[in-house]
Amino acid sequence: MRKLFSLVEKEVKDLLRDPRIYIGLVVPVVLMPLLGFLMSTSMGSSIEAGVERLKIAVLDCDKTALSNALLNLSMSLGADVKMVDAADLDTAVGEARKLGSNALLVIRKGFENDLVNFRKASVELYVVMESMSLGSIGAYTAVEGVLALSSKFFSNMLISKLNPSISPDVVRDPFNISTRSILKDKIIEVPPQVLFNQLLMGYSIMIPLLLLMLSITVVQFAATATAVENEEKTLETLLTFPVTRYDILLAKLLGSSILAVIGSILFTGGFILYFNNMLSLSGFNFPVEDVSQLLPQPPPESLILLTVSLLLAILFVTSLGVAIGALSSDVRMANSLLGVVIVPIMIPSFLMMYGDLDTLPLALQLLVYALPTSYPIMIAKDMTMTPISFETIIGIPYSAALTVLVLYATSMLLAPEKLLTIQYGLRLRGARRRQIKELDNQSTLG
Amino acid sequence: MMGAGSIVVVRNLVKRFGDLTAVDGVSLKIEEGEVFGLIGPNGAGKTTILRIMATLLLPTSGYVNILGYDAVKEAGRIRPYISYLAEDAGTYRNLSGREYLYIVARIYFDSNTEASRAVEEAVRISGLGERVYDKMKTYSKGMKRRLQIARALMTRPKLAILDEPTAGLDVFHAKHIREVVIRHVKEGGTVVLSSHNMLEVEYLCTRVAFIHRGHVLFEGEPKAIINELGVSNLEEAFIEVVGR
Repeated sequence: MRKLFSLVEKEVKDLLRDPRIYIGLVVPVVLMPLLGFLMSTSMGSSIEAGVERLKIAVLDCDKTALSNALLNLSMSLGADVKMVDAADLDTAVGEARKLGSNALLVIRKGFENDLVNFRKASVELYVVMESMSLGSIGAYTAVEGVLALSSKFFSNMLISKLNPSISPDVVRDPFNISTRSILKDKIIEVPPQVLFNQLLMGYSIMIPLLLLMLSITVVQFAATATAVENEEKTLETLLTFPVTRYDILLAKLLGSSILAVIGSILFTGGFILYFNNMLSLSGFNFPVEDVSQLLPQPPPESLILLTVSLLLAILFVTSLGVAIGALSSDVRMANSLLGVVIVPIMIPSFLMMYGDLDTLPLALQLLVYALPTSYPIMIAKDMTMTPISFETIIGIPYSAALTVLVLYATSMLLAPEKLLTIQYGLRLRGARRRQIKELDNQSTLG
Repeated sequence: MMGAGSIVVVRNLVKRFGDLTAVDGVSLKIEEGEVFGLIGPNGAGKTTILRIMATLLLPTSGYVNILGYDAVKEAGRIRPYISYLAEDAGTYRNLSGREYLYIVARIYFDSNTEASRAVEEAVRISGLGERVYDKMKTYSKGMKRRLQIARALMTRPKLAILDEPTAGLDVFHAKHIREVVIRHVKEGGTVVLSSHNMLEVEYLCTRVAFIHRGHVLFEGEPKAIINELGVSNLEEAFIEVVGR
């Protein structure tokens, strides 16, 4: 153990002090909340500006007491109402643009007559789209709000006129609907929408995203740590020390995993701050109560399965990283080879983030089931909503077998004879390719 | 089995990389307390022989015995007693020299006291002084080399395998390292090294072998070789042998 701890210490210290990795660890913590703050500030100020400068041009073709009441009501709700006088719609739009209005409201002739006869009265709204910014949407939402309140006011007036003794609210919305959810045969005192918001965010997006980040980080760290040994010519010396190749491999796996976990915790912190900033934005604030206390607790065996599958997934990707690093003569080559591994790792995470596995084409389902990184996501998604599926349970021993195979192959690769011979072969092939290219160039020039 | 006092026995060693035969039928014997030099031009097969002795590479055929153990079947039993200094051995950029030495010492020694003693010895051999506390990325090529030699010798190996030990060092530090190697041998160690510096080999080595295109062309004590070939130094002797 003493030898292993010494090797792990070397890995962690060397990686943690590498500025490239240091930046990778720290940047998400600073960048994500900053990004959230900047986006919420920018979006918030756009919406506020749209609402504050709400100017409505009105073409009143009815010119009656009720149409006038609508205008007064709009003004009392904060809108800057300007009247336009035009014979047709195009002229009215031109006038509204001249006045710098956000919208043109056209009250058609017969507005009052329709209302007093209990018919729907026609009002047309033309919204000026200045740009594809949230400011335009903010103005539209504000005008709609003013009209909705006015509509409610007129509705109350009409219902009271018919029968002053009844409540207009009951007439308008006679059902008192209370919705509950049923989860694993248990009634949860919240509507499905609230559950969906929390579960979707927690289990379907956050967990796959975190696992994706963890996988990418760990494979990068492991590949970089091993490729640096080749680049700096330290691996050869390391392989002559009185340690087994399993010690070297295990030290690389542990060192990379420790840093990847730290990186993922920092990323999660940054991500949560980003979401907090975004969700604090006016209009994005969903009145979602904390339902985690109401949810049925996942069975302990599913938590054990989740932990085991997570460990296997980390071991699997770290081994791949070490193998890539061992085969690479330098970090640049390792980074190029990493692309081949990272893309297949990313696909299942994205597939499961936005859809159900059962609805995917067979080829994509097979790809998801083939990768050990898929199983923690499957378990996380299943454990609260449904019992863990048979395929997922079978996937654990399969992941373990595949991970052991990859670990064994990687440890074989760390045998100096094989590694040096493969690297020698790769160098020889590179030299031959260069030689052939030079000969081609010479013959072309000749 | 090897003869009495033999630290290294190599018989009919062949190493091929695909079509290339790097070592072709080499036989050597290195006795305890010797400084044995492998001399030859680039690509002669010196580094391949040293890597096989260091248990890094496997022979294609032939027999290699180090300290009484088969270098192929018992590599794990050999490693605690040897040290290998590669020609282009690098360093961990983000560790300090002292941190690196202590990590290596803890791999070789079971007690912290022994490990600390080895580190102090290495600091003295390297001559790095206070710079040993700095990160190794700030070291010059010569400083890195001195640290690696110190790392290789601090564990008091029974066999130190040094590939071009003084490459990249200035004359003062090269002289210091030669003295360290001699002291190591006086304290009971054995050294096998390769070098392009014939003066250094003549000064350091008790016996040498001329290697060319994977073959041992000549073997013996430097002075005996010079006398036998009727030349004035080892460099002339090498040119004489290779030119035959």
